Amino acid sequence: MTLAERHNVHTSGSGPRAMVFAHGFGCDQNMWRFVAPAFEDQYRVVLFDHIGAGGSDLSAYDSATYASLDGYAQDVIDLCRELGVRQGVFVGHSVSAMIGVLAAKRAPELFDQLVLVGPSPRYIDEDGYVGGFSEAQILELLEFLDSNHMGWSQAMAPVIMGNADRPELGEELTNSFCRTDPEIAKRFARATFLSDNRDDLDGFVGDTLVLQCSEDVIAPQAVGEYVHSKLPNSRLIVMSATGHCPNLSAPAETIAAMKTFV
Amino acid sequence: MSDRGDPPGALPGDENSEIEDLTDLFENAPCGYLSATPDGRITRANRTLSGWLGYPHGELVGRRFPDLLNIAGKIYYETHFAPLLRMQGFFNEVALDLLGKGGQAHPVLVNAVERRDAEGAVRFTRITLFNAADRRRYERDLLDARRAAEQATADLHALNQTLESRVAEGVAERLRLEESLRQAQKMEAVGQLTGGVAHDFNNLLTVILGGLEMVGRQLENLPRGPATERIQRAASMAAHGAERAATLTARLLAFARRQPLDPKPVEPNRLVTGLADLLQRTLGETIALETVSGAGLWRTMVDPGELENALVNLAVNARDAMPSGGRLTIETSNAYLDEDYVADIPEPVPPGQYVLIAVTDTGTGMDKQTLERVFEPFFTTKEVGKGTGLGLSQVYGFVRQSGGHIRIYSELGQGTTIKIYLPRSLIGAAAVADLRKEAPAHGGSETILVVEDHEDLRNYSTGVLRELGYDVLEAANGHSALEMLQTHNDVDLLFTDVVLPEGMDGRRLSDEATRRRPGIKVLFTTGYTRNAIVHNGRLDAGVQLITKPFSFAELAAKVRAILDT
Repeated sequence: MTLAERHNVHTSGSGPRAMVFAHGFGCDQNMWRFVAPAFEDQYRVVLFDHIGAGGSDLSAYDSATYASLDGYAQDVIDLCRELGVRQGVFVGHSVSAMIGVLAAKRAPELFDQLVLVGPSPRYIDEDGYVGGFSEAQILELLEFLDSNHMGWSQAMAPVIMGNADRPELGEELTNSFCRTDPEIAKRFARATFLSDNRDDLDGFVGDTLVLQCSEDVIAPQAVGEYVHSKLPNSRLIVMSATGHCPNLSAPAETIAAMKTFV
Repeated sequence: MSDRGDPPGALPGDENSEIEDLTDLFENAPCGYLSATPDGRITRANRTLSGWLGYPHGELVGRRFPDLLNIAGKIYYETHFAPLLRMQGFFNEVALDLLGKGGQAHPVLVNAVERRDAEGAVRFTRITLFNAADRRRYERDLLDARRAAEQATADLHALNQTLESRVAEGVAERLRLEESLRQAQKMEAVGQLTGGVAHDFNNLLTVILGGLEMVGRQLENLPRGPATERIQRAASMAAHGAERAATLTARLLAFARRQPLDPKPVEPNRLVTGLADLLQRTLGETIALETVSGAGLWRTMVDPGELENALVNLAVNARDAMPSGGRLTIETSNAYLDEDYVADIPEPVPPGQYVLIAVTDTGTGMDKQTLERVFEPFFTTKEVGKGTGLGLSQVYGFVRQSGGHIRIYSELGQGTTIKIYLPRSLIGAAAVADLRKEAPAHGGSETILVVEDHEDLRNYSTGVLRELGYDVLEAANGHSALEMLQTHNDVDLLFTDVVLPEGMDGRRLSDEATRRRPGIKVLFTTGYTRNAIVHNGRLDAGVQLITKPFSFAELAAKVRAILDT
């Protein structure tokens, strides 16, 4: 099995450079369904699922490898090398924004430009740093996930993915969207919300666009401003779109903002 | 009046009534209703929902729906359910917890659907919330029940595994017993075979040795020359080989435990002292051997060889009970077992005077269960191959056969004492010592009836006795022998094989002969005997025995000694 197969890669469009779209915590490459087509005329568009999400090879999931973002970053490097990506554009949403930074630092030849949609190097507030969540809140989240509460592991399962107990409901609700194994989603949540990659921003001089939503509870504006301040060659665009997923809720604004950059 | 064409019978003011009705339906429906902008901001919320959450009516408007959720719900809504709603236009039955104004959790099931205008643009999102407190409780009960069932299954599985291991233990125990039985049967079979072969060999060796002696004696009557010397050498070589063969068969009989006990008056102190070197070598360097000899110790009537074996057996057991060294004490003393004491003993032991030999170790000791079984044949606490499980059984059997009593005391971690009580012997040791060797090796003129079914052997015996000058009668079985006794009333000695054919063995023949002819003397011969002459493996008192194969000199001495008593 190639890495492309393992990551459920879909490529479209054509152009001298590749534009690689990476989904964040929650859902899968479908997150880019309203945005990616807008770049097919000038770029080779690459969509993929992180291991454990969407149509990826779930058997390749290893809890140790994916306990931190490094494992995901290495996947991006390996995959892009297999696909022959050089001097491309990396578009990362949510936690994949930092995954992109990690990958770009390790393999600078892959990407000339990074688009970070709702990035956050650290979700927990700490010593003057505003991450958006108190430590207690994140612990509450993790405890909630670990408690195997019916609302998440059982009742939520048919929503997030097909549930063996109620297959008809799961199929109807999820179709091909956002298929996620609840156990893997729990681990991904842990890797995401306990991560602290602030130091990894240091020394990254790549050409970067930071897209910040208004009223994003996952990555508040202060975090976007922090990321922008740490990256010397970055530009910050605060969008009027609200929430954490402008790629879905405001694709036109997102596309327009990106086109001012690439 | 409206121009919409009200149905016939509709009253003026019905439009207001309808709005009122629908408003009531919205506000007081048994579920929460929310209308929200595409990005989740609440534009309308019904009273039912406000009531659940403890907000004054209207206060929810302007908030974002995710803000009503607990932290986990908020994160998952933003990352999973909002994208899902945007992509497929709805989601159903998502289990979330709303937070009331006071922070209390309200479990709800959430359905959401996007409402679009004619151009397909999202006008608003309709969110319906069902109170799921009961359902959540059922689900929790269900989860608990499932966990309990899984636990019960696990317990049952564990029980089954224990059961399996218990069955396995039972089977292993059964196999062990079968192994013991097989071992016993094997020993028995080997014993039978060995004993039988040795018996036949003894008969043959007696004939061979006798023939060779005859050759030797006849040679003395011939003129000496090179030919007779060669014959002499050949005969003595053959005799030497035959004697070695006789020694070998004696060992085989010992192995088969078919040699009769040969009780003699024994001085236990002397026996123990003589055995000390062997015992110390058996015990090894880490175990100190101490002997405490009682003063004025009585004699006892036992087979000294078997008593030595018994002490060695006990020493081996003691050594194995003291893997890291210790002390073994052998103590002798006189003892008296009174009526009260023997009344408590399961086996019949007569009260009276005994010689006590106590063997004490400082080893690991035994628990009650082990003590109860310790004399059982094949019971062993040692690993397979380390012990036969016969040691203590042999000691027990020997002591019982000797008319004695054995008692064991043991405490875990303290050590073990085994007390052997052997009956006091009143017979003087010297009186019967070395009867055979001291007896004169000459013949006589008495009449001897030889009863032997083995023709070669009978010819040998009669030949020896005739050569010694005796008047010899012979019979091939017990019945013929009795007939001869009828017709010959001058028989002084009955010399009979123990094992005889046709239903009358040597013992019965002896009894009948003695009954008919009181005063007749009897000499038994046998290769082995578990038979009539040996009562529980022990020679009856007063019975004389010569063990095959016997030499000319031995038979001459034995016969003479008996006739002279």
